[in-house]
Amino acid sequence: MAVYKRGYQRYQGPVTGHYTRLMAMPRYAWERLFQQRLMIVLTAVSCLWPLLCAVFIYISNHSELWAGLGGGLKKMLAIDAAFFLVYMNVQSAFCILLAALAGPGLIAPDLSNNALPLYFSRPLSRLDYVAARMMTLIGMLSLVTWLPGLILFGMQIGMANSGWFAAHWHYGAGLIAGFFIWILIVSMVALASSAYVKWRLIAGALILGFFFVLAGAARMINGIFRVEWGSVINPAMAAYTVWCALLGKEIPEGMDISTSLLCLGGLIAALGLILERKLRPVEVIS
Amino acid sequence: MPAPVIELDKLRVKLGRREILLGISCRLGLSGSGKAIGLVGPHGAGKATLIQTLLGFHLPLSGSARVLGFDCHRNPRAVRERVGYMPESDSFIASMTAVSFLRLMGELSGLPAEAALEKAHETLFHVGLGEARYRPVGTYSLGMKQMAKLAQAIVHGPELVILDEPTNGLDPAARQRMLRLIREMKEQHGMNIVLCSHLLPDVEEVCDEVVIMKEGLIVHHADLEAERRSNRRFVELEVSGNDLNLASTLHQHGADGVSEGGGRWRIVLPLDFEIAGLWKVLAAEGLNVRKLTHRRDTLEEIFLKAVGHIRQTPGETAAEEEVSAHGSL
Repeated sequence: MAVYKRGYQRYQGPVTGHYTRLMAMPRYAWERLFQQRLMIVLTAVSCLWPLLCAVFIYISNHSELWAGLGGGLKKMLAIDAAFFLVYMNVQSAFCILLAALAGPGLIAPDLSNNALPLYFSRPLSRLDYVAARMMTLIGMLSLVTWLPGLILFGMQIGMANSGWFAAHWHYGAGLIAGFFIWILIVSMVALASSAYVKWRLIAGALILGFFFVLAGAARMINGIFRVEWGSVINPAMAAYTVWCALLGKEIPEGMDISTSLLCLGGLIAALGLILERKLRPVEVIS
Repeated sequence: MPAPVIELDKLRVKLGRREILLGISCRLGLSGSGKAIGLVGPHGAGKATLIQTLLGFHLPLSGSARVLGFDCHRNPRAVRERVGYMPESDSFIASMTAVSFLRLMGELSGLPAEAALEKAHETLFHVGLGEARYRPVGTYSLGMKQMAKLAQAIVHGPELVILDEPTNGLDPAARQRMLRLIREMKEQHGMNIVLCSHLLPDVEEVCDEVVIMKEGLIVHHADLEAERRSNRRFVELEVSGNDLNLASTLHQHGADGVSEGGGRWRIVLPLDFEIAGLWKVLAAEGLNVRKLTHRRDTLEEIFLKAVGHIRQTPGETAAEEEVSAHGSL
C-alpha cells in the first residue's frame, strides 16, 4: 500500500544496537561530504603521492631497471624509515587540507541550527556524539593515510626478500600508530574549530591556521630567542618526533620523545575541554 | 502494573548559581494510558528546566526524576529510547531534506535503516508535509518547521512525547491542525503526551491533567476533566411562574436547589446531569427562564488562582446562557 494511503502507525519492530545507531551519523556525513566536487578532487589528489610511492617501491625492488646508474642511487632508492617518513609527511599535509574542508561542516551546522537537543534527546551521550563526528573524519582521513600506507608496506613485503618483513615490521606498526596519533590530533582540531566557530569558512581557515601558523610561530620563537623549546607549540613537529621514534629513525633536535608526547597529550586534553564546554544540549547562563 | 509517566521525588535542580527547581514531588499519568499532561506556569517557573531534566540534560542537585519507571539521571539512555522531544526553538539540520532528516533521527533512535526511511515518509505525510518532503528543511516556513519538529519527535513511535510550545508561531488553521495531531497521538496511537505551553486554551483543549508551576514549585495539580465536571454543577437560575414545586422536582432528578426568592435559584447538579436536562425539567414545570448562568472555571481561572493573581473565581468571567425575559422552552 502506498505510504500516503497507509497513515501513521507507531513503530513496534526490533531496534538496532548502540553502535549501529552511532554509525548512522558518519554514514550520513560521508554521503553529504562526497556530494561536494571539491572533496572528491582533493581526495583523488591525495592519492597521487601514494601512487608515486608505489612506483618508487616497484623501481626500488627491480634492480635491473637501474643497474647501470651508479652505486649512490642504490642508497637513495632504499625503502627504509626515511621513505616512510617522507610518505607520512606528505600525506599528513593532505590530511590537514581534507580536515579543513570536511571538519567545519560537522558540528558548526548543528550549533547554528540548534540541532544538539535533537541528538541528545535520543539515546546518545555527548561522548557518543563526539565519537560519531570523529568517526566521520577518521574514516575519511584513513583513506589517504594509513590505508594506502599499509598497502605500500604490503607491496614492499611482497617484492622484497623474505627477511625484509622480519627486520622491518616496525615500519608498518609505526605507520599505523603514527597516523592514528596524527588523525586524532587533526580530527580534534577540526571538531574544536567547528564547535567554536559557527561560520564554516572561518572554521576551515582556523584549522589550516592552527597547524601552519603555529609551525611558523615556533620557528620564529626558536630563531629570535635562539632556543629550541619554541617547538613545543608546533604539534606537527611533536608528531614528527613521535613518528621518528616509532619508525626507529634518529629523533630531530629540539624536542625529545617524552616532551613531544606530553605536548600532544596536552593539546588533545585542551581540545577535549573545548568540545566539552561547547557541546551541550542546552546553554546554561550562570 | 503500569509505571507513572513522570515521577518526581523532591527534585532539586541548580543551573549555575541559581536553584531552579526547589524540591518538587509528584506522580503524573500512567504509562500506556494515552493521556496528555499539561505543564503550565509563568516565565521562569522552571517548566523548561523540568523537561530538560527529564531528558537527562541537567543533573539533579538532589532528589530524583523518573520517566516511565526509568531514572533520568542513572539510566538516561532507557528514558531517551522511549521519549520523543519537540523543542521550543528552531531545531533541525537546515541543509537536509525532510526525509533524510527524519530518517537520520529515526536511525539514531534505533530504527533499522529501511524502517527509518519508511517511517520518515509515513510521518511526513501524517503531519501534512508529504508534498514538501524532498525540500531542505531550511527552506520551510515557520509552520512547516513546527510540523517537521513534531514529525522528528514521533518518527520512532515513542511511548511519551514531550512537546515544548508546539503551537508557537502558528496561524489559527495550523494551530488547529497541530492540536488535532496531538489529540490523535494520544487517542489513536496511545502515546502519552507532556505539553508545555503558555497558551492555556491549547492545554485545556488537549490535556487530561495539568500541572501549574511557579517559581520552581508545583503549585497546583489538577485533573482537568474532573475540574470541568465539578464546575459544571453550579447553576444560578432566574425564572418567572409558579416555582413552588421546583425544589422537589429537582430533588427527584438528584439535584439540589435553593430558592433565594423572586424566582432566583441556586442549583447544584449531580455529575451525570447535563444543563440540557435542566432546561427540560424547567419546561416540564412550565417555567419561563429569565436567566440561566452556568458557572464554569476555565483553565485560565485555575491558573490565575494557582499562581496567586486572583483569590477566587470572579463572577464576571462566568459563562452565561441567557434567554429573554419572556423566553420559554
